[in-house]
Amino acid sequence: MLGDLLVTGDLLRLILLAAQLAFLGILYLALFLFARSLLRDLRVAERAQLAAQTGIGRLAVLESPEDEPPVGQAISLGPINSIGRNVNSTIYVEDDFVSAIHAMLSFRGRAWFVEDQGSTNGTYVNGHRIDRPVALSYGDELTIGRIRMRLER
Amino acid sequence: MSITWRATELRLLLPVVLLVPLGFVVTHIAQTNRLDPGPLGLALGYVALVVVAHLALTISGHRGDQLLLPLAATIGGVGIVMLNRLPQDLAGMDLFGIQVGMAGTQLAWFAIGLGAMVAIAVFFRDDGLLRHYKYTWAFAGAALLVITFLFGREVNGARLWLYVGPVGFQPGEAIKIVLVIFIAGYLAEKRTLLASALARIGPIKIPPLPYLLPMLAIFALVMLIVVRSNDLGTALLFFGIFLTMLFVATGRRSYVLVGLVLFIAGSFVAYQLVPHVRVRFDNWINPFADPNNTGYQTVQALYAFGRGGLFGEGLGQGLPMVAGHLPIPALPTDFIFAGIAEELGLVGAFALLALAAATAARGLRIGILAHDDFSALLAVGLTTSLGLQTLIIAAGNAKLIPLTGITFPFVSYGGSSVLASFAVIGLLLSISHRSAILAESTSEVSL
Repeated sequence: MLGDLLVTGDLLRLILLAAQLAFLGILYLALFLFARSLLRDLRVAERAQLAAQTGIGRLAVLESPEDEPPVGQAISLGPINSIGRNVNSTIYVEDDFVSAIHAMLSFRGRAWFVEDQGSTNGTYVNGHRIDRPVALSYGDELTIGRIRMRLER
Repeated sequence: MSITWRATELRLLLPVVLLVPLGFVVTHIAQTNRLDPGPLGLALGYVALVVVAHLALTISGHRGDQLLLPLAATIGGVGIVMLNRLPQDLAGMDLFGIQVGMAGTQLAWFAIGLGAMVAIAVFFRDDGLLRHYKYTWAFAGAALLVITFLFGREVNGARLWLYVGPVGFQPGEAIKIVLVIFIAGYLAEKRTLLASALARIGPIKIPPLPYLLPMLAIFALVMLIVVRSNDLGTALLFFGIFLTMLFVATGRRSYVLVGLVLFIAGSFVAYQLVPHVRVRFDNWINPFADPNNTGYQTVQALYAFGRGGLFGEGLGQGLPMVAGHLPIPALPTDFIFAGIAEELGLVGAFALLALAAATAARGLRIGILAHDDFSALLAVGLTTSLGLQTLIIAAGNAKLIPLTGITFPFVSYGGSSVLASFAVIGLLLSISHRSAILAESTSEVSL
């Protein structure tokens, strides 16, 4: 019986068909595994987004010689933030090169703006000193005194 | 520092490890009609390459996305099985006197591509190099384009190839990535301006002219590519990437509308002025008007889709040779999707497109999770470049849109394409790595 099959080539054709189906099967197995991973991550992302919905942005501290605020910290931002050495500032910084009321960081409409408050040493956006309110994009760097920070989502 | 195992990546690579050797065995049995696994060196080489790339990412402590490498490897796996099953003398190279066939050459490019991917993913941990030198990148891209216009070699009516000695490459692939980097840098800087400023013409709000100029410049560049090098696919791809990134950055439909109007007007002018464009368009409307000459490939591709049907002719059993030649001459490159549709049917073609869609979903997710505008736009642009390219060539094969000669990422034969596609994956990996590190290292403190 098996010999007959081998002679006519039917067995070969059967094995080939099975192997071809297995090829498609593995392809769809891969697709299934990918789909499962994608969906799982989507659900996680959805939860994370719900948790983060309260914030409109944050300032990551990149450089801070006096370590106040500490380097590596991300400061959550409200709609209006004053930055300065005055202890009543929304964002209090400890640095001799920073004025008491140094700069104002505010979220208006659909964008962030920063405005210098007449500070002695100026406010810098991406290394350029500003002389009027400037719109910020997420990823822009803000330098106040010796403190360097980055606006993030 | 302890090693973080990329367990998900490893698990998702398992199907590839089975898929590629099985594909080689199936095609060998189908073609020889003997129960013999045939030579498996290339298949095992492919599996080894992918696993080595996984190990390299693991050892370097990479925290980036774990789905991208397995997705690219699965799509590429289907490709290498198809290329190995075709006549090997269609392409290849002469390595110090040793003839390497088409699949062998492609495998060498996979090695280079995966190497580049790992290098970019591991060493591009700071995006400053890309972000701050965007105009330098744009200049480099433009220079490459001009060089191609001047010294490029014309193949099949399109001037795409640049030869340095005996080694040829397609600068379009590199220019594509550079263009995305530049647009991402430009839009990240100007995003707030572009999104808020508006002028009015009657009841229609349009973006103000100064900000439209870069858009017009890119449109001019695209038209130049069409007219000068007859490269429709790349032109369409560039413009699609640009419009997508502009929309994502500003959320303004008016930009897209203006872009589409420009595109339609440009297409009309190109149809009138460029003979190559007219041929492609007429072939799309009715390839059977000239089935043995200009419409030949499109007609043969349609037959291939038809023969394939729902489940295909069976891997290794389709693509009958006509007088010792493949029915479609450009099968390994532009028409590989038609070949896959013939042998694996709608079922297999759909799986391939679904894998490409999953890759795009993953890339967009990396964009959403990015912490700054530049990274987000870069991720979206790179993802669009891969996804749109897949869409354009698959739709062109199936005569849904006019055929344009671009490659199917990871599948088509061709070094430039494989290298560029893996470089895109490498950049996406490096972006997602930065996001993961940032999310961990910055402790949230509310004041």
